[in-house]
Order: sequence, then structure tokens, then C-alpha cells
Amino acid sequence: MSPYGFGHRRDGGTGSGLEELFVIAWIELWVRLKVVDLVAQTAWMTLTEKLDLRDDLCGLKHYSYWGMDADGIDAETILDDVDRVIRMDSAFTNQNKHCYRLRICDGTPQAGGSGLAIPSGRREGCASTGDLALEKDLPIEGDEKRLLERGGVYVFDCLIRERRGDRERAFEDRLNGRLKAASVSHLKHGELWRMLILADGLEEAQGKLERMLVTRSRREGLLLNPHYQRYEIVSSGPVASGEGLR
Amino acid sequence: MTETFAGKVAIVQFPGVNCEYETAAAVEAVGAEAGLFRWNEDPGRLEDSLAIILPGGFSYQDRIRAGVVAAKDRVMDKVAELALAGRPVLGVCNGAQVLVESGMIPGIHWERIDLALAPNIMTDREGYFCTWVHLRCEESGCVWTRRFSIGSVLPVPVAHAEGRFVTEDAGVLADMRDNNQIVLRYCDSGGTVEDVFPVNPNGSVENIAGICNKEGNVLAMMPHPERATWLRQIPEDLAGAWGRKRRLAAGRADTMEGEGPGRAFFTSLIGT
Repeated sequence: MSPYGFGHRRDGGTGSGLEELFVIAWIELWVRLKVVDLVAQTAWMTLTEKLDLRDDLCGLKHYSYWGMDADGIDAETILDDVDRVIRMDSAFTNQNKHCYRLRICDGTPQAGGSGLAIPSGRREGCASTGDLALEKDLPIEGDEKRLLERGGVYVFDCLIRERRGDRERAFEDRLNGRLKAASVSHLKHGELWRMLILADGLEEAQGKLERMLVTRSRREGLLLNPHYQRYEIVSSGPVASGEGLR
Repeated sequence: MTETFAGKVAIVQFPGVNCEYETAAAVEAVGAEAGLFRWNEDPGRLEDSLAIILPGGFSYQDRIRAGVVAAKDRVMDKVAELALAGRPVLGVCNGAQVLVESGMIPGIHWERIDLALAPNIMTDREGYFCTWVHLRCEESGCVWTRRFSIGSVLPVPVAHAEGRFVTEDAGVLADMRDNNQIVLRYCDSGGTVEDVFPVNPNGSVENIAGICNKEGNVLAMMPHPERATWLRQIPEDLAGAWGRKRRLAAGRADTMEGEGPGRAFFTSLIGT
């Protein structure tokens, strides 16, 4: 299956008057700190100690996320062009403190980004580039030993976005103003939390996840305030015992 | 440390706050005693305090979301308990964010999160914004503003990146209006409430700058009254009556040490 969608456009700005085939793809940029992520550590401490959720949460990771439709002549051209911009623009990455992964996702293009059903880190058919492979070296905030020893662990990649789209539009404009061989649209941006939940089933895990994410009261929820933020689950699924999460 | 807070205004020092000393100075300027309470001390020591202030700054470095981590601290159980019993509680800037994230403001449904202090919405800029604004005192039963007359206009500085009061629940906004919980609104120097930047410096719904609970003893406000406690703190070029007063005081040290527009928030405490 092709990982891309295709379209036609008139001459692509070359002035030839001919229609050209071009690629539309959903691309994702995941960025994390190279150094210790104090936000992730604080989230871990707050959820497990102040909110006493240590029996439900066994680990978390934290990323900045950008996802968008991109079009260009081919996948490599899109990746190269976007990579050139995000390397140079500290609004996306600062190479002194960040590592990142940029990739074209498998499946059909996802205008509006409905999300994939396959846990991140095990997707196939995607191209990637960047300084470091994110999945290889990132320590988990949490109890990995407990996680590996028992089953019933579910992984959720949760994207938290602001309800207003101002910042996303600003990022989209920023990218389009700098890209030369590609253009982007339908950009999504937010904090992405990978949450590792202990539960007896996916439904129960989702209930626990919701209680960790959404701040409903002083004693419930942490990672988003529903009055200006919302979340979507980008991917979810069980983690097989002994498989690990790297 | 065995310092007692009996009869004192306790100023809660979460890690990362930075306005605790100037807040204490403002409290002492009205003749009350102030004491700093470190967040990890025994919360029972707050029992006999006269009032509690959550000062401005960056508690827990604003990690995750401004105010939310401090809102989960054990000391906030005690603050909520005392607030329910009628103890005056003031949250300024980051302190306001803590009160909102703890559900004590607006407190219509106690401890339910009915509001957010979201990132500022401004014209041609984003992020942190620091300026002097004008506030109009609205009709309310708030103990922290009882020295102000309704409709009075006062200049006070703001300095924040997340100060936009917002709610997804239209019923909450209506209830706050009906209960006279909207204590302060951003306005121009003449007192006109206009939803334009920078009169409204953060895009707050209905120009809200300060909200109290139904009972009026808990106030969350984004502007910093402790930075407007003395006349000398007012910038010389400020528009309005307070700016004129400040210009007239230039060169007269005794007058410059006189009362600034924010002091009445603290004066309101005396006698509670």
C-alpha cells in the first residue's frame, strides 16, 4: 500500500501550463528534550504522589508535536524541505537541547488528522529523518520494571491542543513562508503525552486515562484544563508483556 | 520553625513564586503583620491566620500549566478548608491561577474546575505581557475591595502570559454575573470597559480582571496590587487621575511615599 495520496495541480508554479502529479502526505514532527525533562518528571510526581495514581499509571513520556498535511513532488522532497526549515527555526527545534523525529505516516493522508490506531513507535512504512531516533534512547518516567513484569499495560499517545487554533495557524504560516519545495495545511500542534496505564482492559484504561488528563477538580486530572484545551488519542493499544516500550 | 501565624496575614511561598516579599511589604504598609508560609510546612499552622495570600510568580516554574501543580499541594486542602469557613484569601497573578486550578474560584460548584486562565490573546504579539492597566471596581460583596466605591477606576500593573479568564460553560458566566462575583474589569483610564487590546491586555472574557467566590472572601485577580501600593510606583506618564497625582508629587519625597491605588485591597482587610 502506498503511504501517500496523490493529486494534480496545474504546472506547480513552473509556468508550463501542464498539470503535475504531486504527493499529499500526513507528516508528523515529534520533539523532545535531550536533557532531563522536568515537566515530565513533575507530571509523574504529581500524578503518582499528589493524586495518588501510582496503581494506575506506570510511566509517561512527553513530546512537543506537530502534524500536518504536506504536499510536494515526492516524499523525500517534502521531508528534506520540512527538515531544512525545522532544523533552522527554533520555534520548532533547538539543536542544543532537542532531538526530534520527522516522518511521513503510513496509511492515507489524514487531513484533519483522525489519528492512527497503531501504537506509535511500531508503525511501518514511514520515512523518517532527524538527529536522533526518539524511540531508542528515551527513559520513561515511571516504573519500567513493573511495566515489563506484568501484563495489562496499555499505551496511549494523547495530543493536547488549545481549543483556539491561533497558534496552529501561526505555525502553518511560518512553515509555508519558509518552505521552498513543499507546502503544508491542516496543521495540528500541542503537547503529546505517552501514558502507560495499568488496567484490566482497554475500556478501563481509557477511563483511567481520562481521569489523569482532564482537570475536573482539585483532586482529579492534571494535564489539561477543558475550558481552553482538548485532547485526542493519536494512538492506543495494549503492550505485550516483556515487549517494552522503546 | 515555630513562628505562629495568629493574627497575621500568611503569604504562601510555593517554589517558584517571586512576589512574596513585596506582598508582605504591602500588607505591612497598612499596619497588618505578614509572615511567609513555606508550602511544605505543617498546614495546621495557618489555622489562626488573619488572611491568606497566594502571591505572584511562577509556582513550580509553570510546569504543565500555570498554577496547576501548586493547586494539588497539600497546603491547598487547608486553604480551601479555611476559605470555606470564611477566611479571606487573595490570589494575585500566579496565585489567581492556583485558585482557579483548585476550583476555589469561582467556587459556584466548590472545587469543580469551572474556569481557566488561558494564554493571552493580544494584537500582533503573543506570550508574556507587562504593562499598566486600568481596573473598574464592580458591585460585589468582596471583602478585598470594600474600600473601593463601585465604578472607581484604579491603575495597576499586569505581568503575565496566561491571564485570560475563560469558561466553556456559559451558565457559569451567567451565575458569576448574577452573584456579583465579577469584581474587577479592565477599562480605559476614563472607566469605559472596552474589549480592545491593550485596554483588555489578555483577551479575558467580558474584560474580567478579578473574580471572587459567592461569599466574597476569596478573590483571584491577575493585576498586581502590591506593585501599586505607593504613589512612587506609578509611572509618570500614566493617563488618568492617578497619573496626574503622581506627576504633581514629583520631587516631593513625603508625597511620593503616600498611598498608591492598590493599597486599598490590603486596607480592606483591616477589621475583618
